[in-house]
Amino acid sequence: MTFTSRWKRLASGIAGTALLTMAAGAAFAQDNVVIMQDPGGAYGEALRQVMYDPFEKETGIKVVTVQEARSGPRIKAQVEAGKTEWDLTFIFDQETKLLGDCCLADIDYSKLSEGAQKTLASMPDNLKRPKGIALQVIGVTLAYQTEKYTAETPQNWADFWNVEKFPGKRCLPAWPRFVFEAALMADGVEKEKLYPIDMERALKKIAEIKPHVSKWWTTAAQAPQLLLDGEADMCMAYAGRINNLIVVEGAPVNMTWNEGFVYYDFFSIPKGSPHYDNALKLLSYRLDAERAAELTTLYPVAVPSPLVFAAADPKVSLYWANNPENVAKAIEWSPDYWGAPSPDGKSTNEEYGQEKLNELLAQ
Amino acid sequence: MSMAVAGSLRGARAASFSEQLRKPVWLLVPAACFLAFIYLLPLFDLVRISLSGPSWATHFERVFAVSLYWDSLVRTIKISATVAFLCLLFGYPTALLIHRSKGIVQVLIATAIVLPYFIAILIRTYAWMVLLGRNGPINKLAIWLGILDEPAQLLFNRGSVLLGMTAVLLPLMVLSIYSSVSRLDPSLKRAALASGAGPLAVFWRVLLPLTLPGIGAGVLIVFVTALGFFITPTLLGGPADQMFAMHITQQADFATSEGFLQALAVVLLTITLGVVAVAGKFLGYEFIWGGGKLVEATPTPSETRGRDKSARQRSIGTFFADAIGWPLLRLVGRLPASFGTWTVRLMGGFVVLALMVPIIVVMIISFSKASFLTFPPPGFSLRWYEKFFSDPEWMAAFFNSLTIALMSSALAVTLGTAAAMGVVRGTFKGKTAVMLLLVSPVIVPPVVLGLSLYSLFLRFDMVGTTWGLAAAHAIGGIPLVVVVIAASLQGVDPRLEQAAAVHGASPLRVFRTVTLPAIAPGVAAAAFFAFLHSFDELVLSLFLSSAQLKTLPLRLWADVNYQLNPVLAVVSTLEVLLVVGGIALARPVLARSRGAI
Repeated sequence: MTFTSRWKRLASGIAGTALLTMAAGAAFAQDNVVIMQDPGGAYGEALRQVMYDPFEKETGIKVVTVQEARSGPRIKAQVEAGKTEWDLTFIFDQETKLLGDCCLADIDYSKLSEGAQKTLASMPDNLKRPKGIALQVIGVTLAYQTEKYTAETPQNWADFWNVEKFPGKRCLPAWPRFVFEAALMADGVEKEKLYPIDMERALKKIAEIKPHVSKWWTTAAQAPQLLLDGEADMCMAYAGRINNLIVVEGAPVNMTWNEGFVYYDFFSIPKGSPHYDNALKLLSYRLDAERAAELTTLYPVAVPSPLVFAAADPKVSLYWANNPENVAKAIEWSPDYWGAPSPDGKSTNEEYGQEKLNELLAQ
Repeated sequence: MSMAVAGSLRGARAASFSEQLRKPVWLLVPAACFLAFIYLLPLFDLVRISLSGPSWATHFERVFAVSLYWDSLVRTIKISATVAFLCLLFGYPTALLIHRSKGIVQVLIATAIVLPYFIAILIRTYAWMVLLGRNGPINKLAIWLGILDEPAQLLFNRGSVLLGMTAVLLPLMVLSIYSSVSRLDPSLKRAALASGAGPLAVFWRVLLPLTLPGIGAGVLIVFVTALGFFITPTLLGGPADQMFAMHITQQADFATSEGFLQALAVVLLTITLGVVAVAGKFLGYEFIWGGGKLVEATPTPSETRGRDKSARQRSIGTFFADAIGWPLLRLVGRLPASFGTWTVRLMGGFVVLALMVPIIVVMIISFSKASFLTFPPPGFSLRWYEKFFSDPEWMAAFFNSLTIALMSSALAVTLGTAAAMGVVRGTFKGKTAVMLLLVSPVIVPPVVLGLSLYSLFLRFDMVGTTWGLAAAHAIGGIPLVVVVIAASLQGVDPRLEQAAAVHGASPLRVFRTVTLPAIAPGVAAAAFFAFLHSFDELVLSLFLSSAQLKTLPLRLWADVNYQLNPVLAVVSTLEVLLVVGGIALARPVLARSRGAI
């Protein structure tokens, strides 16, 4: 392409964008929107392409996304002030209980589309609650650089902690959840006996690996980026993005489901949501088994339903968090434990653990 | 505009009362009302919520009982003090260098210092992330030179935090010291040299004591700003570098932390204000706005005391110079006179490099072909510019920022100009206190302000509104406007205004035909500063924006956290061009009002 034609494209891009911006303004004015929390990164782009763009075309409802790693506290503040902004959010399992009474609206299951009803029928009852539907199975696993570890690959958290056998830099999330469990398993605790967590023991084990951790990450996109950039050789990471790198981009990374963690993110509608009906429409759209399966080819985070699993490409579902083979190797993570009141009674276990972990990391 | 209000009011009231109303003091009212509602009220509310636990001390006990927060407080103070020291160490020679160079060289060096000052902190921090990255130019250069075998981990440690914060805050220090240095009588130095003093003696006995006020002001303003820092340590630091403001944003992630969150903010606010109060007692509060003392109606006793104190302080300065300087001098012996010149040139040159190189590297990377950050780029292309201009979300964010910044600038200039007229032309006691209130928003840590505004904005349904954000940004814009306009006004002879008034011109007419033309360059500069302040603002927007209203800095912040890519470099480059353009247009203005900044 010549230089001038590039500039022309650039200029037409600017003009087109100005029009689009005006059109977007018009859409807001009609108020036919749904405001959806968004995970950002490659996942956000996949959602835009497979879900939101076709949804907008089909229904005329504009999907406005807001990038936010964690929505619970914001929902609470908004609802308590009587100024709810969001229509559809994803929150942690324990938050459907902590925030259920104060801040979340009942989901009117009867208004969901037929396709959505069919998918829901195939899901266990615990995953369709009055205040939330499990819309994504999330896996957290041990991921590593395949170019760094060629002969022997790390198989479990004991290997992750073993810097003599597997030299190299590590990365871990800067959260107590998952990290405390992994530390205990590395210290020899059986996976059935993890809860309630012995925080002091976990912290002692974390102190051992701390000098080898190059970055304690805080957003999902960071761990894979650190692996790709060579800032870390072995990470605790979200399985979805690692899966995406293996299948879609063929990057030199791999992961093991051994002692991985499986949990669900719940989709909820905050009380007083400004576009409740639109939220139900988008929810229906996302629960459609065929479309949910299509999404996984771009970004492999799946709706926890056998129907979606059956509809997906087996090459992709090989790495899924709800692939029965993977689930068998993983541990069942306990959101209830982390949502329970802390030992000192001042906050939750999660908040208490976070303070303890921050204290250790700050040393 | 406010003059118009005052003018029409005058016509409607009785004569004696109208005399009262003509007093310029009333021009302070709009800004005072505005700040009372959107700035003071939320801060009081913040304190109220922090005390709302089972007992008033519950939340504060947790802050001081958990060693995490206490340690972080100590660390925050340590980091801030180190940064202030580093800024002084490198800033002083740089200010001297600007002062001593002439012509185009001086303009270039001054621009290299002032330009980064106007570029968003987020962008300058991002530039350091690029520079220090594993594939960044520093690592590449070290490997090429054979110093390193493989890329070193330069990011996410205390060193990178100190480096980044020092680089970000250096312009503040240089400008503060420069305003002192530029007032020096050059013949003093010649006299000292002629009397046989070596370069160190000149420094200890002449330069240092005379520029002590500028040094004190610079150190304090840097220290206090660093206390509330959030963006730079978040991006460049590791977990061992958590600063206090970061706990506030982290705690905002937990649903159960109401009250405790506010307590954290109140602690940070109290410490900041405490430092300012103590410093103000010794230095005079003028250091905040970098100006001289204001003319009070009648010199109050406290002020006379203040003068005595500054005289005494000077003698303390001389005392230290004698006690520490002379023994040191004897040790070093008499260096050639060029020693001082070369120290200044080397260190100043280093500072100019450290401020400019990151910006230049980012500008080059914006033309990269690669989809990740690597330097030098494997090839050049315009693909990231295309992506920026063809992405409706980036464009929407850009136009939102533009609208908000224009509104905010208009608001700040209107309220700030009126208030500045009130302060400068009014005759009333307690001017320092009023000025302190007007400029105090620059002292309050943005995280604290953002948190306090969030509940106000929820209650009045202002979250995510364009005018709401514009108003919030104007809180920080007003101090900039007041300082610049007050300085301009002090250059206008009030007798000109009086002469016009005597000949029958209404106050509005006096303002339009006499005052405004004289301060027009100042107003233009103030409008530009207020615009940039809003255009670059991130922390308040983090708390106050909504899904539909994303500003450019918010998009940048999301991308820095979620996916580092060269689009960020594109936005940075465009911002640099905007600032360069603005400065070029405003240069004649800046040159005239430089003493004020």
